[in-house]
Amino acid sequence: MRTSRLRTLVVYLGFALFLIWVLFPLYFTVLSSFMAPSEIGVKPFHWWPENPTLANYIAIFTGDSAPFSTGQDGGIVSSTDAVARLVPAIGRSLLVGVAVVASNLIIAGAAGYAFSRYEFRGSTVAYLLLLASRVVPAIAVVLPFFVAFRHLGLLNTSLALIISYNAFTLPLAIWLLKTYFDSVPRELEEAAKVDGASRLRCLLMIVTPIARPGLIAAGLLVFLEAWSEFFYSLVLTNSLTVPPVVAGLQNLQQFSWTTLAAATMFTVVPPVLIALAFQRYIVAGLAAGSVK
Amino acid sequence: MTSTAETTSRPATRRRTSVRAQADARFGLLLATPALILVLGLVAWPGLRTAVYSLQRVSLAGEESWTGLNNFRTLFTDERFIHSLTTTVLYAVGFLLVSTLLGLGFALLLNEKFHGQWLARSLLIVPWACPWVMVGMIWKWFVDGEVGALNAALYQFGLIDSYAAPLSDSTGALVVAVLAGAWRQASFTGLLILAGLQTIPKELPQAAMVDGANVWQRFRHLTLPWLRPVIVVVVIINTIFGFMQFDTIWALTQGGPGDATSVLSIYLYEQLFVYTNIGLGSATAVVLGGIALVLGFVFVKLLYRSNAITEGVE
Repeated sequence: MRTSRLRTLVVYLGFALFLIWVLFPLYFTVLSSFMAPSEIGVKPFHWWPENPTLANYIAIFTGDSAPFSTGQDGGIVSSTDAVARLVPAIGRSLLVGVAVVASNLIIAGAAGYAFSRYEFRGSTVAYLLLLASRVVPAIAVVLPFFVAFRHLGLLNTSLALIISYNAFTLPLAIWLLKTYFDSVPRELEEAAKVDGASRLRCLLMIVTPIARPGLIAAGLLVFLEAWSEFFYSLVLTNSLTVPPVVAGLQNLQQFSWTTLAAATMFTVVPPVLIALAFQRYIVAGLAAGSVK
Repeated sequence: MTSTAETTSRPATRRRTSVRAQADARFGLLLATPALILVLGLVAWPGLRTAVYSLQRVSLAGEESWTGLNNFRTLFTDERFIHSLTTTVLYAVGFLLVSTLLGLGFALLLNEKFHGQWLARSLLIVPWACPWVMVGMIWKWFVDGEVGALNAALYQFGLIDSYAAPLSDSTGALVVAVLAGAWRQASFTGLLILAGLQTIPKELPQAAMVDGANVWQRFRHLTLPWLRPVIVVVVIINTIFGFMQFDTIWALTQGGPGDATSVLSIYLYEQLFVYTNIGLGSATAVVLGGIALVLGFVFVKLLYRSNAITEGVE
């Protein structure tokens, strides 16, 4: 009896600490994004906005870089086009993400299927080398990309990001998809082949529909990686995608934290919603990708 | 190819399967070729090119000349490099310990039954879904010395007498950088370990309980051995991520104050894109890549061994 009461106490104490650890840092960003700059930094601290405002969010969409400068609040924001760059950046982030997902699902899907079903001379070695390439840190090989893209005139283009992101998502996607194809039974394909279906037809008409959960998991993980990528976007482009644009805002003198908080929310909310909505797929993908 | 006589002497059915096997192999190669070409071009080639750069001197005009190991010699006599190497090790160790222990704790907690368990399980994925660079931004303002909510909370509970600005202090900045990074990575760790915990058959802990094993004994002799493969993977991934961290630290401090949080990745960025010192930057990249490759090799070794152990038990 006593141990079970102790257990309850420990569990709920742990739950409380867990909630604080996960939510407290986020809460401050969410809170600030609904406040006027004048409400930031007051003592005693405002744990709830006195006059909740959407001005920070509206400012981002209208490209208004000084949402509070006319009011009495006087939260002056430097006049810059940085905020105006955020909305196009969201579009470009989506474009890059979708393009990287599409190329990954086609190229890595084909390769993963080949490694799962059709052994060829050297396929084991090739597969192991692919896995080993996952270890190469992106940050360590950025220079050749920079030099090559400058040579090709691709610096500061979305194409440069689409190409370079493939370098780090392909090995992961191949690994995930090969593991998934391994778990798909072969009987259906064999039956279809007896009926005279070609290998390609088998892959497209029979395997792809069955493998949909695996494809979704791989696609989601690749999209999240592309959406979140910062270093290559910073170095290879003049901050085309969302994360470096938002991170760049905080270097501006006098830029108000409240508007920055709203911009942060724009970067954080889409991947968080995706992760919550597809939690099961994502966790299955993470577990398969790291343990197998 | 080897001998036509041998093939023709085989029975007809055997030949048909071997023709089919060859066609299968050709189909497999065809499907895998685009991926292989891309990975060769996008990972192997830049890797080799970086290694070549690290042995060269590149002038501003772009002329390359060989200098042997000179860049590495310069690197290891550069105080800032040595400082950033030790900072990286400190950071990686802290990052590994905090994320792994917290993640393990979260997973054990969320594997228990309690009111709100579903909520906690959903929330566990939230920090992981935040982009690394945004984690840095969120924490930078969270711990801010003038407006930050952490200061406000500690102050209102009477735990501090005045607001502190940890990011303007060398030790404080490194600690915050570790905590911010671990905030995201503990989530990832927790998700993986929780997935591992859920594969434990329910009968095992029950049987152990009947045998009179207490909580600690069950954890030590049942849960922990079962989780060993997952924990090995998590430890290696956390170590690699710790060594390669850039985004979070960049958003938090850009390596400051002074050089206090200038880890190898930031040193590398500055050599390449601030001082345009191609040789030194590439040599740093080779050191960083070398660390990753060694850790990756250890990873495969340990994993192979832990699989052998679990297979031996089963």
